[in-house]
Amino acid sequence: MRRQMQLNTHISAKYNQELENLKHSVLTMGGVLEQQLVNTLVALKENAPSLAERVALNDSRIDSMESQVEQECMRIIAKRNPTAGDLRLVMTVSKTATDLERIGDEIARVAKLVTKDRIPASDIVLSGMMDIGNRNVAMMRATFDAFARQDDKAAVIAHKLDTQIDKVYKKVIEQTAAEIQSSPQDIAIWMDVLWAIRSFERIGDRCKNICEYVIYLTYGRDLHSSSMKKTVKKLLK
Amino acid sequence: MFKLFEREALSVEEFSKEQTSVDVRHLCVSLNAKKVLNDISIRIPKNKITALIGQSGCGKTTLLNSFNRMNEFISTHEISGEVWIDNRNIYDKRERVSRLRSQIGMVFQRPNPFPMSIYDNVSFGLRIQGEKRRRFLDDSVEKALRNAALWDEVRDRLFESALTLSGGQQQRLMIARALALEPKVLLLDEPTSALDPLTTLYIEELMVALKQQCTLIIVTHNMQQAARVSDYAAFIHKGELIEYSDSDSLFTMPNKQQTEDYITGRYG
Repeated sequence: MRRQMQLNTHISAKYNQELENLKHSVLTMGGVLEQQLVNTLVALKENAPSLAERVALNDSRIDSMESQVEQECMRIIAKRNPTAGDLRLVMTVSKTATDLERIGDEIARVAKLVTKDRIPASDIVLSGMMDIGNRNVAMMRATFDAFARQDDKAAVIAHKLDTQIDKVYKKVIEQTAAEIQSSPQDIAIWMDVLWAIRSFERIGDRCKNICEYVIYLTYGRDLHSSSMKKTVKKLLK
Repeated sequence: MFKLFEREALSVEEFSKEQTSVDVRHLCVSLNAKKVLNDISIRIPKNKITALIGQSGCGKTTLLNSFNRMNEFISTHEISGEVWIDNRNIYDKRERVSRLRSQIGMVFQRPNPFPMSIYDNVSFGLRIQGEKRRRFLDDSVEKALRNAALWDEVRDRLFESALTLSGGQQQRLMIARALALEPKVLLLDEPTSALDPLTTLYIEELMVALKQQCTLIIVTHNMQQAARVSDYAAFIHKGELIEYSDSDSLFTMPNKQQTEDYITGRYG
């Protein structure tokens, strides 16, 4: 059954506020991450190592945010004893924060590649990476939007965006493999390029996880469960 | 560091004299020749809710009763140590008990309205103090009932018997009766144990609102209630203060194993 969460109807006004703040904290983290990703793409496009370095350093801020969200979730569970939709929200926020922190790590990995003196990859590979990165930005926006509105349909649509990211990723990896063969002496730096491309692909997977949490929050069921297949079809119509 | 969540609770070591409402120093209480409280020292902050938790018979109600000298009703009591409220040692020989009790309100487990009207129940304390001005009494009754979130429900039947009110309303009436005297401290001894879960939540919300006006000290057996409502919590076991800290810390990462065992239901 689809449930619409009403956060502002608890008898305790403070509890309302705590849950609102919790939800808001995820969106704050998401906003910082989105900016991190956009900066990384600018640094990659314009070959700006100082900007990339700033992105890599800023990752500790995301780590600190994740730790604060986890602590707040634990505090609310201990003090408020949340049940039903409130409990699902707390669990969703906790799991989402973990995924966001990992997205931060993936972005930092790509940023570290940009700080290298030389990247042996061709423009085809680099523009492929830009393509995945831009798709990631779009997917992240769609995901956070679905989370903010707790919109199940938007979450299912955002979830589908990863398919395109995977397709582009496959092409970029094939191109990279061909280029590695032509300059095997640069294998060490090629490894970093491969990891960075992989990181970009993983951001899509993490966003997919968050979309699944939004579905869980609304229906209390896993997106892949057989009972959800009909619901997903209906939502996509 | 970027802060996502605001925290208002100071650690218990940080209270200044001005921030302290009740300062208990080396309090020992014996009732019927049995030591009930042993060397309790605790500083309870102003305009906060402090919960006293512990097993039945651990001494938490005795500690609460020490704050308005209720233990003196037991003839065999023996008390040593000091309890300072607003820079006055309430156990000083010169201290008048009636004056003290007008400043320290108390609400008990079961509502105990007097068999008189709602109005008379609320104005009772003021009248005992000699207040006769009708206008003043009217204003005080309305203010107290509003603060106890009961005014809207009883404004049209102030002169009906208080016994006609429901359990939850009666308990709020008891809070209003205590508030009419504008106490500095409000003591609550399991104030919701006889109420249904929803009414309990309303009373808890009322307690949070009352923090603006006075210091609240609550004794409760309901661990979840202590966690939900309190800013600070003290765990008492066999008359000893085992741990006292802000509730966020006590209910997520207590310092003492005994506290951890108690709040997780492992105490045997």
